[in-house]
Amino acid sequence: MWQAIKSVLAAFLGVQKDSRRREDFASERPGIFIVAGLLVGLVFVVLVALVAVMAAR
Amino acid sequence: MRTLLVWMAGGLTSAALTPVALANGWNMPVGVTALSRDIYSLHMIIFWICVVIGVIVFGAMFYSLFRYRHSRGAKAATFHEHTSVEVIWTAIPLLILVGMAVPATATLKNMYDTSEADLDIMVTGQQWRWRYEYLGEDVAFTSNLGTSREQISGADEKGEHYLLEVDEPLVLPVGQKVRLLLTSDDVIHSWWVPDLAVKQDAIPGFVNENWVRIEEPGIYRGQCAELCGKDHAFMPVVVEAVEQERFDEWLVERKQAAAQAAAGVDREWSMEELMERGEQVYGAVCASCHQPDGSGNPPVFPALAGNQPMLDDLDWHVDTVVNGVSGAAMPAFRSTLNAVEIAAVVTYERNAWGNESGDSVQPSEIAERLADQSE
Repeated sequence: MWQAIKSVLAAFLGVQKDSRRREDFASERPGIFIVAGLLVGLVFVVLVALVAVMAAR
Repeated sequence: MRTLLVWMAGGLTSAALTPVALANGWNMPVGVTALSRDIYSLHMIIFWICVVIGVIVFGAMFYSLFRYRHSRGAKAATFHEHTSVEVIWTAIPLLILVGMAVPATATLKNMYDTSEADLDIMVTGQQWRWRYEYLGEDVAFTSNLGTSREQISGADEKGEHYLLEVDEPLVLPVGQKVRLLLTSDDVIHSWWVPDLAVKQDAIPGFVNENWVRIEEPGIYRGQCAELCGKDHAFMPVVVEAVEQERFDEWLVERKQAAAQAAAGVDREWSMEELMERGEQVYGAVCASCHQPDGSGNPPVFPALAGNQPMLDDLDWHVDTVVNGVSGAAMPAFRSTLNAVEIAAVVTYERNAWGNESGDSVQPSEIAERLADQSE
């Protein structure tokens, strides 16, 4: 799971090592990347919303 | 070597041109409000950030092109990826963008804060003029283009403020927070005064808000900034900022003038008076479409000279001016013109340019009609 999250974070930035990419694509379970993507996406949205709420005060 | 010299010369020329551009007013104005100065400095900060980035990026690029050229036996590197370099060139633009977003957002927040205004003005765009209403003060008027038709056609020398002058400017007090409520009667217009750093769309069915607190008395000019039809270039904005005392006097004068106009409604007007007033109104409001000689611009703007159906039906004529023609270019003038102006312009149109109906309509009749209609 931790590796999937790290790969999602790398994807957010748009930079990934080729060796890591190969490892990810060799994985048997694509579901874990989808779950990690949704999770990190949600955290990002909440973070942005928090910053906006704080800035609006 | 020659290539490098050409590039250096190009770079030096653009660097030398920057102060020239600033001195010649090619840059945006600093303006006369705190907000306009904020916007100006934001613009300059971001401009210089772009200059620095441009110099570094293009400098590195042109240096590499020159230094590692094929004729000197340069060989291309063949490595595939370099994660740390990629992270750096992703992170630096990210930081620059966030760095620019912070002051920009602070300024935007200030721009949108229209609360606690001292004075509310309703600004309504119409093809092709602006209407200003001082809310709660019973003062409202239309601001028409002040440049003469002779200057536009080229018969006269163009004046200093060609197409940037109006018959009645928007008068505002300095030092007060003035809230502008912008809307439109017909199509989308945009109320733009560079010195006040206001450019706000006026959209039919919506009310947009903006605000100004002018610091220096003076005359500030602008234009409609949203292509709105044939006379888009002929509906300028002129704002006259005056001291609070002068503004109060002006407001009293305007109210008295309005009271006098209202009194004029009740009395009987002679044919000559109506014709004289009608010619002024026609020139300011109607002539841009129907032409000064009433010849119109068919098929969109019908001729009024020799228009027999119009001359045969006075009631229809009045109704058309008051309510406009639905689905056509003719706007309703019931809120733009008062009863005296409508009576005068209808009388003028029925008796000018060879039209000889001989009939006239009294302001009192129009006032009655407007009152009936608003019930």
